[in-house]
Amino acid sequence: MMDSLYLTWQYVVFHKIKTLILVACVTLIATLPLALELLLRESEQQLLARAAATPLVLGAKGSTLELVMNSLYFSTETPETLSMATMHQVMTSNLALPIPLYVRFQARGFPIVGTTFDYFDFRGLRIAAGRPLTILGECVIGATVAERLRLKPGDSLISAPENLFDLAGAYPLKMQVVGVLQKAYTADDLAVFVDLHTTWVIAGLGHGHQELAHTTDTTVLLQRSDTSVTANAKLQLYTEVTADNVDTFHFHGDAATYPLTAVSAVPHDAKSATLLRGRYLARETPHHMVRPKDVVDRLLAEIFRIKNVLDAVVLVVSGATVLAIALIFALSLRLRQKEMTTIFQLGCRRRTIARLLASEMLIIACLSGALCTGVLVVLAHVDSDLVRLWMVR
Amino acid sequence: MIRMRALTFCYPNTDLRLHIPELTVAEAQKVAIIGPSSAGKTTLLQLIAGILTPQAGSVHVGNVHVNALSDARRRGFRITTIGFIFQDFALLDYLNVLDNILHPYRITGALRLRHDIRTRAAKLATEMGIGDKLQRRPEALSQGEKQRVAICRALLPYPKLILADEATGNLDPANKTRILELLCRTVEAHHATLVAVTHDYELFGYFDRVIDFRHFGSSVIS
Amino acid sequence: MRPLHCLYLAWLVVISSHVPMQAAGSARLTVYVVNYPLQYFAERIAGEHATVVFPAPSEVDPAFWMPDPPTIAAYQRADLILLNGATYEKWLTKVTLPYARHVDTSAGFQARYIRLADAITHTHGPTGAHAHEGYAFTTWLDFDLATQQAQAIAGALSRKQPELRETFQRRYAALAKDLMALDAELQASVAKRPQQPFLASHPVYDYLVRRYGLRLKSLHWESDVMPSEAEWAKLRELRQEHPAQWMIWEADPMPEIVARLRTMDINSVVFAPCANVPQQGDFLSVMRQNVANLSAAFQ
Repeated sequence: MMDSLYLTWQYVVFHKIKTLILVACVTLIATLPLALELLLRESEQQLLARAAATPLVLGAKGSTLELVMNSLYFSTETPETLSMATMHQVMTSNLALPIPLYVRFQARGFPIVGTTFDYFDFRGLRIAAGRPLTILGECVIGATVAERLRLKPGDSLISAPENLFDLAGAYPLKMQVVGVLQKAYTADDLAVFVDLHTTWVIAGLGHGHQELAHTTDTTVLLQRSDTSVTANAKLQLYTEVTADNVDTFHFHGDAATYPLTAVSAVPHDAKSATLLRGRYLARETPHHMVRPKDVVDRLLAEIFRIKNVLDAVVLVVSGATVLAIALIFALSLRLRQKEMTTIFQLGCRRRTIARLLASEMLIIACLSGALCTGVLVVLAHVDSDLVRLWMVR
Repeated sequence: MIRMRALTFCYPNTDLRLHIPELTVAEAQKVAIIGPSSAGKTTLLQLIAGILTPQAGSVHVGNVHVNALSDARRRGFRITTIGFIFQDFALLDYLNVLDNILHPYRITGALRLRHDIRTRAAKLATEMGIGDKLQRRPEALSQGEKQRVAICRALLPYPKLILADEATGNLDPANKTRILELLCRTVEAHHATLVAVTHDYELFGYFDRVIDFRHFGSSVIS
Repeated sequence: MRPLHCLYLAWLVVISSHVPMQAAGSARLTVYVVNYPLQYFAERIAGEHATVVFPAPSEVDPAFWMPDPPTIAAYQRADLILLNGATYEKWLTKVTLPYARHVDTSAGFQARYIRLADAITHTHGPTGAHAHEGYAFTTWLDFDLATQQAQAIAGALSRKQPELRETFQRRYAALAKDLMALDAELQASVAKRPQQPFLASHPVYDYLVRRYGLRLKSLHWESDVMPSEAEWAKLRELRQEHPAQWMIWEADPMPEIVARLRTMDINSVVFAPCANVPQQGDFLSVMRQNVANLSAAFQ
């Protein structure tokens, strides 16, 4: 057998191109399904990881998928809003830490995420350049936002108007970039983070303008009494929060009614989580508390049904490749017909010919196996980075 | 060395019929076989070697009744007793000269490839004038060098019988002579019997005997 | 007992006597506050278990102070942020703080906030919502509410360091006893002359007024600025329907003002809100002096 292996080795080395093609084909057949499986599993894990890291999300009753996608992945579809009062209910329950989110607006194609300081601790986000949020009107941007828009601390970013024809609606606010986050390989890389109050300013619930109580400019007033002043539309609202005008910024109406798109709830323990979920199970309550992991699990189950199609495709492709390989071996055998005739005439045994062919297959299989193993080992090492690169694009 | 009696052979679905009433070749004799194309000269060699089995008659090589052996025994007998030299050299292009010479030892269990065999192969190659080309592949050799490699391969197992089928057919006149001289000298040195099919009449002088195929009465039946 | 055993036991005794008597896991907390009363309460309750930081400059009124970004960053890094609530921290809606670590010490009595009566609000357009000018925020001048704020602080500290709950509760009880003693003393003083009318240099005594049922009208006078003649005239007009003979000041007024008030038969008494760190003494000593000063008006 060693002689057959030696002869075959010399043969495959001499016919490099043919050998390489065969090895490549076999490696592809072996590697493709396994690599796909590896990457799909890693994708599934990463998609689930963010959901698993978010214990509970409270939102207005409606699509749970829309709620989860907006609060975890900052999708553009905005769910029905809930009020700050609901968030305070969670806070005063002492069952969980509530992290409010208001994800409605965009800035140059990236979602503006209004939240509190707790969000950064919750997600383990660290500052790579600059500093965290401190003052109204500031923003901290994800690493990918900084790369794509070429922004750094000290630059500014303007929020996009929701509707060019609704001048009375949300208006653009010029935000100061004070920090850039470290790469997290999550949806956070693609977000512009601001304080919750800043999103309310963008929504028009708060603003800054000249002081009205004691102003002498009557052209901006509709009416004035001892306790109330009514301004008219001529009054200019500030479009940027600066050190000079930050004191003038204020909010109108009852803060408890201010809108949120979701409240992430981090329960203190399992019992608190159960109790908290129980509070929102009643049919008549206008809110629901969802477990993002359950929602994403269901979503992935649907999405990865396509894996069955992929498997079928891979099977068909593999079958075709096997036939191609068989054809190559058959042609190879024909090419070696003279050699076989010669050694037959020289007096070799019948099984020697079989051994030579089997050795060729064995060597091809071993080379492919080694290559396949190498590729899969490397892939197993970098699969999480690869999936992150593809997901956070 | 070789004895054929009342031998009859024909290929299925062809018109070629070979009939040899008697053919004898003495030991250590150098015999040239001549005849027209498609007369069955190569078929004769293959019958001697046991590659083909006659429909009737007997073939003896030495004391061995070749056509009475089983296929496996014939192969084993062939590789240990008979050396083949082909017209187109039949070297393997993916092996170097040394490996080509050692090739028979790698394709059968009947021959054991020991260290002394490698030494002998190198010595044989040196005697043939190709000792410095052992690591080269056939594509880097001249026609004459290739045939010398083929001769070395045929002679390495010390065969009792050398069958050469148009061994000089692809060589230029200068090489034909050189190679045949070399072959005959080596065959004599190894006390082997040589049966060579050839068209080269000018080389008859190197042989002890010339057998004209037409004397066997073989003919293409029309 | 063998000599080695004795030596081992002696070593244990020596070692244990040098080990700080601190419960496992109770690292020193960093607590940031927004005014001096909260600093005092936190220091009384937490003691050596916390470093309490009140970063406002000593010369400013913390209610109108806005921390700069580095100070806000320091607040963000604190283990606990104690807020007064009742819109005391005007800057709260303009900064980013972690909800997980801030405590509104007056959240427990939100329903009892006093809305500012004479604040001017504004709207945009006839149907726009009002911007609220807020509530009265000197909640600690009501010693009962101050006790509740201290209780909220004790609760927050206990949640941070549950192993020290008993210590914090014990210290809170001692503080509460001091505060309620002040409350009782003031109640007793007021009971002598419950209808005594008062004036106040500034409208900062709303919670004091409500708790102790004072009849009080406020002006907008500064203790170090001689009021204008118009303001004196306004005072005279006010006294016609509110014949107060005592004016409560946040700080010692100018002697000239005191003298002129005396000509109007109005005495001056200081009841310092103590929102910032006093030059002398501490919160309790200042309040004790306040109560003594005010009690003199009921003699």
